[in-house]
Amino acid sequence: MATAPAPTTAAPAPPAAAVAVPSASVPRGQVDLVDFIDWTGVECLNQDPAHPIANAFKQGYREDDGLHLASDSDEQLLIYIPFMQVIKLHSVLFKGPEEEGPKSVKLFSNKEHMGFSNVNDFPPSDSVDLSSSHLLESKPVTLKYVKFQNVRSLTMFIEDNQSGADITQIQKIALYGTTVDTTNMKDLKKIEEH
Amino acid sequence: MVLESTMICIDNSEWMRNGDYSPSRFQAQADAVNLICGAKTQSNPENTVGVMTMAGKGVRVLVTPTSDLGKILACMHGLEVGAEANLAAAIQVAQLALKHRQNKRQQQRIIVFIGSPVTYDKKMLEQIGKKLKKNNVALDVVDFGEADDEKPEKLEALIAACNSSDSSHIVHVPPGEHALSDVLISTPIFTGEEGGSGFAASAAAAAATGATGYDFGVDPNVDPELALALRLSMEEERARQEAIAKKAAEESSGADNKEASSSNTDSVMADAEPASNASADDKGDQPKDDDDADLLQKALAMSMDEGASGAAAVADAAMAEAAADDQDLALALQMSVQDAEMPGQSDMSKVFEDRSFVTSILNSLPGVDPNDPSVKDLLASLHGQAEQEENKDKSDKADKPEDGKN
Repeated sequence: MATAPAPTTAAPAPPAAAVAVPSASVPRGQVDLVDFIDWTGVECLNQDPAHPIANAFKQGYREDDGLHLASDSDEQLLIYIPFMQVIKLHSVLFKGPEEEGPKSVKLFSNKEHMGFSNVNDFPPSDSVDLSSSHLLESKPVTLKYVKFQNVRSLTMFIEDNQSGADITQIQKIALYGTTVDTTNMKDLKKIEEH
Repeated sequence: MVLESTMICIDNSEWMRNGDYSPSRFQAQADAVNLICGAKTQSNPENTVGVMTMAGKGVRVLVTPTSDLGKILACMHGLEVGAEANLAAAIQVAQLALKHRQNKRQQQRIIVFIGSPVTYDKKMLEQIGKKLKKNNVALDVVDFGEADDEKPEKLEALIAACNSSDSSHIVHVPPGEHALSDVLISTPIFTGEEGGSGFAASAAAAAATGATGYDFGVDPNVDPELALALRLSMEEERARQEAIAKKAAEESSGADNKEASSSNTDSVMADAEPASNASADDKGDQPKDDDDADLLQKALAMSMDEGASGAAAVADAAMAEAAADDQDLALALQMSVQDAEMPGQSDMSKVFEDRSFVTSILNSLPGVDPNDPSVKDLLASLHGQAEQEENKDKSDKADKPEDGKN
């Protein structure tokens, strides 16, 4: 985390253009993992039903700054993200307002059935302290890559927000990494008989 | 089609032995639980329902959430009633059971039946409610039985703390003639947020109309043609009965005025009269007399049909006696005599000779004004005609109607 993420060659693009060129923030050699998420299993605890997780997480919705994910009864959020195949997670990106944006984020790999009551029972795989510059400029935060080499599901615990407000808001969440090579059934070809 | 996983917390504390909900609180609760389990599993094939008890030897999960309705219903049998319900522990255990559900797409819901008093204070319940809300768990409460110690207020506070976008509900069911399950069937707890689908909606509709609410015991939705035929038949019969009643009313009002105005009767009637009259005398009480009079009236009408209606035997004495003894009997006799007289033209004219009688009949007819000049003219002409005929006859009969008049 100490080293800033290596920007791509086209990094000097202004933040406002991030919507137009989303690929600009993707770290070199990594891909956006949005295509590998098992959406049927995604769960967000303490989300405001009027501002669900899809607003910040789904392609298209997350690019719209008008749509955001918000917490309901207090500032904490717990997001469970299963993947359709094993992935390696390199970095995460959070975008949110300066005041209500998330601050402390704890990430757990392969921890099913987590609740607010047992978030402190396990050591997080990595924890991230977001600054307002991360939130406003959509800068990806690099994680401890070695801790996320074999990820089937990811749990993100958002502990608090920048100003200590009652409601946390997130406009965009993006995960960058690579897929672990698995057998692609489509590549299998029938052996022709001679 | 809400996809959800439900935990039902049933109250099996000592308070459930009370019989203020028929047959007992516990049995009424069991019926309601069966109903809800059925509705939940029917509304979506992937829905799961679990059951747990709140009292007895501590909170116990009987069935973890499953879509197997048989398993759910079976666990309800042979439950022991005892000890006190632990609401706070039960809700938290239920939440834990829901957290470990297999299918994360299922929304979480806890349904709590609470018939015993709530010992926890409001603040604690609000805390639990907030925790549920944070974990995206909806909570439904069925409050019945004991209502002391601000129990409804406490439960309302619990729901208020947990409610998120109107997903949690509370129902207070007072003891009364309605079964617990019947009351629940029309509440959002049973029908769900979208007003119920399939099974729930039809069951709610059936409850609204009531099991015996259909006419003729036929559901018009099942067989509309049969229902229509039955309805038409019933309306025809009703119209027929109304017509008969109207006719009878007219006849009796006419006969009232004509009472003893005519003295002609049959020998048949004279024969029948003394016996029935005697029997009427025997029975002193008035209602019986009325019954007898009715029966007599029928018997007389029948005999008149059979007997020679033209036989103009005079039975003045018998008639007078009957009138003195029994007004109803006299009336009946008059009516039957009137029937017999109608066919004869001369008898008819005699009837019309009696002005007061004709006027009274006209009075009783709907839509006829006896004071109308045209009607008066008609009556006058009729009367004149009759007199002319009588004059021609020059018989001693001419004075007879005046004699008979009282």
